Parts: sequence; structure tokens; C-alpha cells
Amino acid sequence: MSAAAGLDLASIPERVQSEVQRAILRSVKGVEYLSTSGPTLGSTPKDILHTRGTMNLYHYRPLADEVYRVPVLIVMATTNRGYILDLVPGQSFIEFLLKRGYDVYMLDWTAPRPEEKSLRMEDYVLDFIPDCVRRVQEDSGEQDVSVIGYCFGGVLSLLYGSIFKDGPMKNLICFTTPIDFHGMKLFSNFADRRYFDVDRLIDSVGNVPPEMILSSFEMLRPASRAVSQIQLWENIWNDEYVKSYRMFDRWATDILPLAGEYFRSITKDLMWDNKLYNGTMTVGGRKADIADIKVPILHAVAEHDHIVPYDAARHLIPRVASSDKEEVMLKGGHVSLVAGPNAVRRLWPKLDSWLAGRST
Amino acid sequence: MADKNSDPVALWQQMIGEMEKGFNAFATKAMESPEFSQAMNQAGGVTAGAQKQLGELIERYLIGMNLPSRAQMVGMAERLQNIEVQLSEIKTMLRQMNADAGAPQGGIMPRPPRTKRPPPASPPSPGEQK
Repeated sequence: MSAAAGLDLASIPERVQSEVQRAILRSVKGVEYLSTSGPTLGSTPKDILHTRGTMNLYHYRPLADEVYRVPVLIVMATTNRGYILDLVPGQSFIEFLLKRGYDVYMLDWTAPRPEEKSLRMEDYVLDFIPDCVRRVQEDSGEQDVSVIGYCFGGVLSLLYGSIFKDGPMKNLICFTTPIDFHGMKLFSNFADRRYFDVDRLIDSVGNVPPEMILSSFEMLRPASRAVSQIQLWENIWNDEYVKSYRMFDRWATDILPLAGEYFRSITKDLMWDNKLYNGTMTVGGRKADIADIKVPILHAVAEHDHIVPYDAARHLIPRVASSDKEEVMLKGGHVSLVAGPNAVRRLWPKLDSWLAGRST
Repeated sequence: MADKNSDPVALWQQMIGEMEKGFNAFATKAMESPEFSQAMNQAGGVTAGAQKQLGELIERYLIGMNLPSRAQMVGMAERLQNIEVQLSEIKTMLRQMNADAGAPQGGIMPRPPRTKRPPPASPPSPGEQK
């Protein structure tokens, strides 16, 4: 290497050749990208156990000869599709759990229809989740159920666990779950009660359109979408990169609308009055204080989470009454914590080692 | 081999990364202000109002053209969905009946026993990271 210029002259022809090859490949793969669809997602074999409006309960077919006694119910966030946890073979959290011997169910959501705009928080916490838990009990023949909640699915699971504190939830695992909604500074500012007329919005549109939710997510990092497209073009010669980009991009833009009344309650009770953090939350007139939760609980948070920053999530473990409780902070962001190569190395083995001993 | 400081591609990627961070940080600062919230919500309110009016206009137009309205299409979709749900419940019941009978027909196997025990405690595997 030339000390003066910091440049290895001998490597230039090799570098130029490599860049020319990549440029050619970019053109070929660019056409291929536009003319093909991405990989099939969410393909782990499953049965639909129950469907009711926006609610779907799946049971995944076992992949092990022997399973743990306690079934696992995953509660997805209401804004997103559950296939983030079931991307492709080898990168599927569901497949991982099945192969490790868990009996897995998922409460997933579809877009609420216009007439479902009146669904309220109590429909989710006092009806949908208990209904699914009951069906999991019937289907598995077990009374105990472990619950895993992702993001807002974690909030719903916490509310459920606070109200049904005597069971049948045996273990609770939350991924990136906000407690102090004022800790989500940008979301808090977007929903500033002085300027955001949630009543007018809901009365106008019924259900909150997915475009609006997607915009608010993208506004948290406004340059990232453009940069990710530049990076895609640079790496379009790399099939693995493109496959991964397509999986995550498809999921990230596949946002669900939110039922109007439910969104009104999220805005007023959680964003404005911060009731979950203050311990004053009620659902359908029933007190829902996370300080009443006593079951073993694991909270996994991401070091670089821009959607649910640590300031919003860190209060969960200190607040619950459980004696068996643990918070684990792992490298990664809001999504890479649960899916992709980072999750395969970090979160999944951690979860398995925590849950296995508590599933018998 | 060129190092990161002399490789133009690496420099370009580094510059893009820095620009992204810088712009995001700048935008975050701007979006934390109450003025931003006020402006954003004013614009959002106008859009929501316009969207509602447009929806009503289109609904009236469809009725005038003797075409099915959104509500009618939603009704149809709901009926189809109910049929799908019932089919799926019948499938699940049949699968369960087969499994209970212990007859592996069409590749359906009986459910595995719920007897699994956790493996003995072992140090984290080399692939496992914090």
C-alpha cells in the first residue's frame, strides 16, 4: 500500500474488474427483481383453529417427536402481520420453537373491516385473548398456557395478565413492549393532545388507515427508506441480500389498519394519560395494573430500538410483582431483535433456555 | 488490497451511512417541536376530512351507475369469509379426528406426547451471543 495516498495500486485492476462485474449483474438482477415476486413467507404448516372477524388463531403442526407440556400462544401486534415470526425455513422463529419441542399457537390479525371500527380495547383484552386461550386449552388438553407478546401484542398480553391474574397464563414473555408511552418521544409529539384531534379523525375515517400508521413509523427515521433503496441497488447482485430485503420490506409495508375505537383508547389512555405506566389503566371497567402480575416473566428489549426506545420499555420488569423475572437487552433493533440472523444468534436461544425449564 | 479509507466504494457507503444518521438526527430534532406536531396534525385533519367526503361522493356515484357499493361488496366478502371459516373448521375437525384415531392418513400423524423435559443445563453454545 502506498503510504502517501493510502492506495494499493496493484489492487486497482482487480477492483475495477469486480465493480464492472457487479454493474453487469446489477442490470441483470435489477430486471429479475422487477419481474419476480419475493420468497413465500409464513409457510410453516399450520391449521386455522378459529377465525372471528379480525382475529385468527393458528395452530402450527408439531415438528418434534415429543413436546413440552405447556403450549405457547403468541400474541401479535395489532398493526403487523404475524409472518415476521415465520419468514422462511431457517429464519422462522415458529419453526425454531417447533423443532425445539414447543406446541405453538398464534393469535394473528387481519385488517378490521369497516363495520369493526367499534372494536374497543376490551374486545381485544377481555374477549379475543381469553377466547384464544380457552381454545388453546381445549385443543391441547392443558390448563396452563405460556404467552409471548410482540410489541403491542405484549401490551395486550400484559393487560390480559393483569386482569386474569389467577391464571391460566403460566409464563409471560414480552418482546420490546412499551410501558411508559411518554418515553416514545416522537410518537408522543405526533399525538400531542393540543393538536391531535383523535375524535375527529376516528369519526371521519372509522378505522385508522394503514398508510397513516406506516407514515408515522417511517417518520421516525425519515431518511432510512431512501437509503435502504440505495443499498438495495448496490447489493442487488447479491441474492441473499435481495431475499432478505424483500422479506423485511414486504412485512414492514404490510401494515394493518387499526379499529377506530381501539385506536381512540390507545391514544387517550396510553399516549395521553400514560395509564399503563401510572398504574391507573382500566379495561372494560376492570383494573389492569401490571403490578398485579405474578407469573414468571421475561422481557427482551433491543439496544437500538427506535420504535420502542429503552426509556419506554425499561419499567416493565421493576413494576411487575413476579419473583421470577428477567430483562434481557440484546443487540439489534425493533425488528432485528425477533427476526433475521441477529435473532437466530441472540434472542431465540435465550428464549429457549428461559422457557424450556418453565414449560414442564 | 485497498483499505476502507482508500476504497471509493467503501467511502461512498460510509458517506451514505453518515448522511442517513445526520438527516435522521436533524429530522428527529425538528419533529420533537410542538410546532411540527401542530402543522402535521392540521394537514392530517384536512386530509381525513377530504377522504371522508370523497368516500361519500364515490358511494353516491356507484349507486347512480347501478354498480355494487363498497358496503355490498363487503357484505359479499363477509359471506365468502364465513364459508371459508366453516371449511377450515371442518378441515381441522377431520384432522383432529384422524389424529385421535391414531390413523396416519394423508400424511397426518397423531400428536406427539407432551412429555418433553428440558435438556440438562449447559454453557451457551458458541453461536449464541448477547
